[in-house]
Amino acid sequence: MHEAAKEKRTNTIVHPRYGCAIGAVYSVAAIPGAVPLANCGPGCASKQFNFLSKGNGFQGAAGAGGGAMPSVNVGENEIVFGGAKKLDELIQSSLRIMQGELFVVLTGCSGELVGDDVGSVVRKYRQAGKPVIYANVAGFKGNNLVGHEVVLREIIDQFVGQFVGNSKVKKQKNLINLFFEIPYFNTNWRGDFIEMKRILEGAGLRVNVLFGSESGGVEEWKNIPKAQFNLVVSPWVGLAAAAHLEKKYRQPYLHVPVIPVGEEATSAFIREVVAFAGINPQKSEAFIEDEARRYYYFLEHFSEFFSEYWFGLPSKFAVASDSATNIALTKFLADQIGAIPVKQIVTDNPPEKYREAISRLYQNLSDGVSAYVEFIEDGYLIEKEIGNADFSASIPLIFGSSWEMDVAEKLKGLLVRVGAPDTEEVVLNRSYIGYKGALTLLETIYTTVVGRKQ
Amino acid sequence: MAKKTRQIAIYGKGGIGKSTTTQNLTAGLAENGKKIMVVGCDPKADSTRLLLGNLSQRTVLDTLRDEGEDISLELIMKEGYKKTRCVESGGPEPGVGCAGRGIITAIGLLERLGAYTPDLDYVFYDVLGDVVCGGFAMPIREGKAKEIYIVASGEMMALYAANNIAKGIERYAKQGGVRLGGIICNSRNVDREAELLRAFVKELGTQLIYFVPRDNIVQQAEIRRKTVIEYKPDSAQAEEYRKLAKSIEKNKKFIVPKPMTQERLEQILLEYGLMDVPND
Repeated sequence: MHEAAKEKRTNTIVHPRYGCAIGAVYSVAAIPGAVPLANCGPGCASKQFNFLSKGNGFQGAAGAGGGAMPSVNVGENEIVFGGAKKLDELIQSSLRIMQGELFVVLTGCSGELVGDDVGSVVRKYRQAGKPVIYANVAGFKGNNLVGHEVVLREIIDQFVGQFVGNSKVKKQKNLINLFFEIPYFNTNWRGDFIEMKRILEGAGLRVNVLFGSESGGVEEWKNIPKAQFNLVVSPWVGLAAAAHLEKKYRQPYLHVPVIPVGEEATSAFIREVVAFAGINPQKSEAFIEDEARRYYYFLEHFSEFFSEYWFGLPSKFAVASDSATNIALTKFLADQIGAIPVKQIVTDNPPEKYREAISRLYQNLSDGVSAYVEFIEDGYLIEKEIGNADFSASIPLIFGSSWEMDVAEKLKGLLVRVGAPDTEEVVLNRSYIGYKGALTLLETIYTTVVGRKQ
Repeated sequence: MAKKTRQIAIYGKGGIGKSTTTQNLTAGLAENGKKIMVVGCDPKADSTRLLLGNLSQRTVLDTLRDEGEDISLELIMKEGYKKTRCVESGGPEPGVGCAGRGIITAIGLLERLGAYTPDLDYVFYDVLGDVVCGGFAMPIREGKAKEIYIVASGEMMALYAANNIAKGIERYAKQGGVRLGGIICNSRNVDREAELLRAFVKELGTQLIYFVPRDNIVQQAEIRRKTVIEYKPDSAQAEEYRKLAKSIEKNKKFIVPKPMTQERLEQILLEYGLMDVPND
């Protein structure tokens, strides 16, 4: 079936599941104390807000996000005569009005097309000691995941780099930098960052989480070079930054491609990180023991329901989501719940070089269970693939975005929303990962099941 | 009686004499009472200086930059020789912004301000060097100039450019009604120039619509900010430009060009001795 999907692949996309590279304004907005300056047309940044925040769990915005984001509002004049002057004015007034410790100019398609020399505008402020940097994130360069990677790199090089000139910076034992989910884009990112930090601290580490409520903000970014190592918890996003830091500051990195969900995976994750850090496992083992005890207290109650629910539970599931969410969920459901993966579709268009490694993650999800993963971005094809999946007699259980509502309804199945866009839920600090998140995930899935209209 | 305005775009390699040829041609047509508008589509903004003489012309883009969008036609259009209406699109400062988008903006503004009046017999677009981007193709897009002339000479680079321009025309001809009306040779007095040009136009499937001989009087007129027709109406060169105007006026041969491959073009150039490597 996947061969057929490949043949029919077109260049058009309906029902998009990601923003464009300028969406990285929201990566900047997610750093406490950082201010994104949108150097693009008036609609560009606002569309990203609509998709990544509003249409994705109504996350809203804090700090310099949403309606507070300064924008050049590029118009025809800036295209014809160049936008440098207006950008210059924007930087000046932003520095005056906005409270920020780091200002990042993000240039979209228009400025990149006409060749605006943003670097020279920004340089002036940097020379005057102002914390202003820039990133070229034209939409034609790729999606918001690509934009996120560009921004990571530019902040490291233009901002972090100026505080630490060379690679001989003294490292602090047990301090790590976390490269994890993409702010706003991953619907549960705020809750996930909280849980991930809790887990890593429980393991005995100190963590620069860089984004969200648990981040120390811009100050934390300055400490990046002091970390003992970098931890990438994602199939591919963040790898480039980690590799760059390895060269730049001789920081090794540990890549854990699958975000841990549930006790087994999370405890194994902690042990892997602790071994890599070379720290005494006494504290982490005590943490694991305590977490496991609590986790299984709830799971015991849950298993009573799980085995006795007479009206039928879904046994086969499909996932259509970004690669990080997709593999994390698939692994947990196949390995811990015993559900059967029948259709796994990765929707975030990972660069070709990572695809084979991502596909391999779906081998041996559990004893004797493997899944085949497909990379599709077009909603029409995704719906079609899910519609044709073999759920046999099981109630189809679909993990996806709000775009999957129609196909779920058609199949008389259940939809659990796990990625952008998500227009039927208000999400605050919810998490589906780690110890606590796994229980919330079970709540969500089986609330959907028992609440199903017969 | 509704008459149809002929909208004509003149392309050619930079420095080949497009502006000089266009303005002398315009003067030749204006002498016969034709109503003409010349739109310079070149950031250098020198497409109308011979027609305007000492009048200074502000470009559309300079005016837009200084005055904003709310401007009147009088600010950007001046009348020159024999009431020819002259407009210069102008461009951004070198190295910034997008000149191609500037052309689009300028022509868009002319349309909005009602510059294209039905009494016009001709509108000429004098376009920078080459069809380098979509902006410089603006004059030949749907609804604009349907006739194109390429100014060339017997020099190698002029013919390279002419062939490239033909590729641009071919592309737009498929989508709309734009056609090549012919090649105007602005002679550089190189060996076998007319022969080479004839071979070249034959290959393209078009015609050598006129061969303008080289004459220093053109430079003398330019220094005085005049067309040859205005400066020395009785000169032989003025007569040549009148004949060029007549040829354009009478032209009925409009074709979709068949641009050459690089190899074929070089073959023709070799045949006519242009690419001869001197023997050691």
